[in-house]
Amino acid sequence: MKIIVDGKEIDAVLGETLLGAARRAGIHIPTLCYHESLEGQGRCRLCMVEVNEGGRKEVVASCTYPVKEGIEVTTSTPVIDKIRRNIIMLLYKRATGSPVMRQLFQEYGCPQNSLQENPEERCILCNICVRACEELGSSAISLIMRGTQKRVATPYDEAAAVCIGCGTCARVCPAGAIEMTEKEGIRVIWNKAFAMQACSRCGSYYASREEIAHLTARKPEYVIQSDLCEDCRKRMMAEKIAVFVSE
Amino acid sequence: MTTQNPPDNRKILVCCGTGCQASGSMDVFLAFQNQLHPEPGVTVETYAKATGCNGWCEQGPLVKILPDDITYCRVQAKHVAEIIDKTIKQGELVKKLLYRDPVTKKQVRSHHEINFYKKQHKVALRHIGEIDPASLDDYLAYDGYKALGQAFAMSPADIIDEIERSGLRGRGGAGFPTGRKWRSCAVQEASEKYLVCNGDEGDPGAFMDRSIMEGDPHTVIEGMIIGSMAIGAHKGFIYVRDEYGLAVQNLGRAIQDARANGYLGEDIMGKGWAFDIEIVRGGGAFVCGEETALMNSIEGNAGEPRDKYVYPTEKGLWGKPTIINNVETWANIPVIILAGAEKFASIGSKNSKGTKVFSLVGKVVNTGLVEVPMGTTLREIIFDIGGGILKGKAFKAVQTGGPSGGCIPAELLDLEIDFDSLTEAGSMMGSGGLIVMDEHTCMVEVARYYLHFLAGESCGKCVPCREGIDRMLEILTRICEGHGKMEDLDLLEDLSETLKAASSCALGKTATNPVLSTLRYFRPEYISHIHEKRCAAGVCRSLTTFDIIPEICTGCGLCEKNCPVQAIRGEKKEPHTISQELCIRCGDCFNRCNFGAIKVV
Repeated sequence: MKIIVDGKEIDAVLGETLLGAARRAGIHIPTLCYHESLEGQGRCRLCMVEVNEGGRKEVVASCTYPVKEGIEVTTSTPVIDKIRRNIIMLLYKRATGSPVMRQLFQEYGCPQNSLQENPEERCILCNICVRACEELGSSAISLIMRGTQKRVATPYDEAAAVCIGCGTCARVCPAGAIEMTEKEGIRVIWNKAFAMQACSRCGSYYASREEIAHLTARKPEYVIQSDLCEDCRKRMMAEKIAVFVSE
Repeated sequence: MTTQNPPDNRKILVCCGTGCQASGSMDVFLAFQNQLHPEPGVTVETYAKATGCNGWCEQGPLVKILPDDITYCRVQAKHVAEIIDKTIKQGELVKKLLYRDPVTKKQVRSHHEINFYKKQHKVALRHIGEIDPASLDDYLAYDGYKALGQAFAMSPADIIDEIERSGLRGRGGAGFPTGRKWRSCAVQEASEKYLVCNGDEGDPGAFMDRSIMEGDPHTVIEGMIIGSMAIGAHKGFIYVRDEYGLAVQNLGRAIQDARANGYLGEDIMGKGWAFDIEIVRGGGAFVCGEETALMNSIEGNAGEPRDKYVYPTEKGLWGKPTIINNVETWANIPVIILAGAEKFASIGSKNSKGTKVFSLVGKVVNTGLVEVPMGTTLREIIFDIGGGILKGKAFKAVQTGGPSGGCIPAELLDLEIDFDSLTEAGSMMGSGGLIVMDEHTCMVEVARYYLHFLAGESCGKCVPCREGIDRMLEILTRICEGHGKMEDLDLLEDLSETLKAASSCALGKTATNPVLSTLRYFRPEYISHIHEKRCAAGVCRSLTTFDIIPEICTGCGLCEKNCPVQAIRGEKKEPHTISQELCIRCGDCFNRCNFGAIKVV
């Protein structure tokens, strides 16, 4: 189907979200709680856009709004811009400790106001870490409590039995809020320590043993040689190919 | 005053709603059961039954005697012997238990003569207080399941037509036309459809759904079966908040009895229609009253709402077409089928048909449940039915629609309330809460109070609601503590716009109502908090000093006796004084003084 975004006609597929269609067409809509490998969540509300459906205008979250034939979308209006500025301001005040939020606060030209800042906090509660953990099959962390008390945590704030220390949560976090340290072959994340596997070739630590075991059990076809780090695995493949070609 | 010719067949109805039970009505009921014996020489056949809530909780426990039509108020177990002896056996009234009209000072015998009931029009609450909720037979005796029988002679389209023509709008708050909702679900093709009754009544002080579920559970079940036929669903859920133990108990029993008697199950009334109902107990989150959060909760997920760009009628429970209606909406369905759409539509205002149940609470004389036609004015509800403001104080505002409703000032007392007029006035119908406030109420503090409630009850999923409410609360707290600035009011309005436009569900979208409505109608109060650092109502402690006016003080000692910190001193019959060092500004003396001798400085 065809939809119009900012005056430009783009292709969209029934069932996909407005954000998905716009991104594919190279149209930028800002987001904080969206990750391309996960479903839209509608949490941060930064992706709000104006949809005109047969004359009826509505402000919607583009990451959860399913495309409809014939809609006309405007990604930036004075109303939308103000919503985005306020969202950034609110998240900056909540998570003033996050460098990303400090930068966005400047970028969006948010006015200074008297609301208290929170320099200790970095998490913006986008839930991407939780969703990624779920998708990978661990569900070691989740959102707990509600309202202003809401936060990401392991069950009872203790080391989670199911956590495999893969560190995906820390890597996908847009705000740099998840603490992960590595020292002498020991990774510490979410109050749990993991012994790391050293690469049999270069000796560098590349994954927690629990992660390798989890992956081997779940997707054996992907684990070609589990004792090599990613770099060495590529190098080994390249060497094999080189031998094959020369023969 | 005697009742002539005591009738042979007497019913003693003991109100056993939650309010009356809290005042000991179960003991009253048991005392009647124990003391009503067939006695030689007495030919009167009498039985007592425990009914649902009569609504007039202020005067409970209530006992009604039929057909004599006598209503006794504030009855205790110790009065039972006297009632049996005088009223039942000799046909005399127990005068001390009759209601005394505060204006005419006359004792009133029948509840029909009492102002609290006179202006009410019971539709959704029609059986409550009359029937025994634990008895299917009693329900059947009051035309129970007759509407269902009638619905079996109708096609699904006919049923939807009837509901649509009645003009019934959803009683849960949003006021969406029920018939249209059903129609949009009926046209969906799906392997499975669901039907939900929303009994997660979360507004503080609201208990209309509770009373229906407790007092007339079969009505809800009957309404749901008719709904299931209209849309083609075979499975229904009643989502009840966990705190409503009696509702769960009575509904559970009613479902069991309905199943055993062929009103639920594989072959309802022998007509080949299959439908059954399951009770789901909510965990007590306010936000789970929001339909999509409720559905997430039924599915076993966290109670977070979903964006509703696709309606539940298309994709609801487990992604299947679902209709979800509030308890009171379901209770209206059998009436519409039985009496006809036209009859129902003849009650109410232009665009809001039928009646609405309100829980009338706060600083009003007659607190309780009242059901009135849509379009009744606030003045009629608060002053005629409610009996006016407690202690003869002045009316200041009424907060409608629960914590995210707005505050309506005295100028709008003649507003005919329905879904649309309340929204226009900056408030909402919500589920029907009416909290009356008197002149000793600080409107800034009221806004702060409700935002505090909402900050705790926001699910925290979306940024505008979670962070926005919290920040508005921060500003309001500052103003109440005397640190507010004028630009704070602009910031409140600015944030409100974002909450309204960008929040995911109605909780965030309407959370601004308490703030915006008080800013609209009571702005000078905000300004006096900010500029003069003064709370004229004497509520905000940091801004209040109480003092005694010596010319008025009679030295009665009431304030001195009740002051929690002994800050008030004085000789008997001499003007008293308040020690400002000891005073914690609780306002107890101010509210208690019978002579108006305490002033807010």
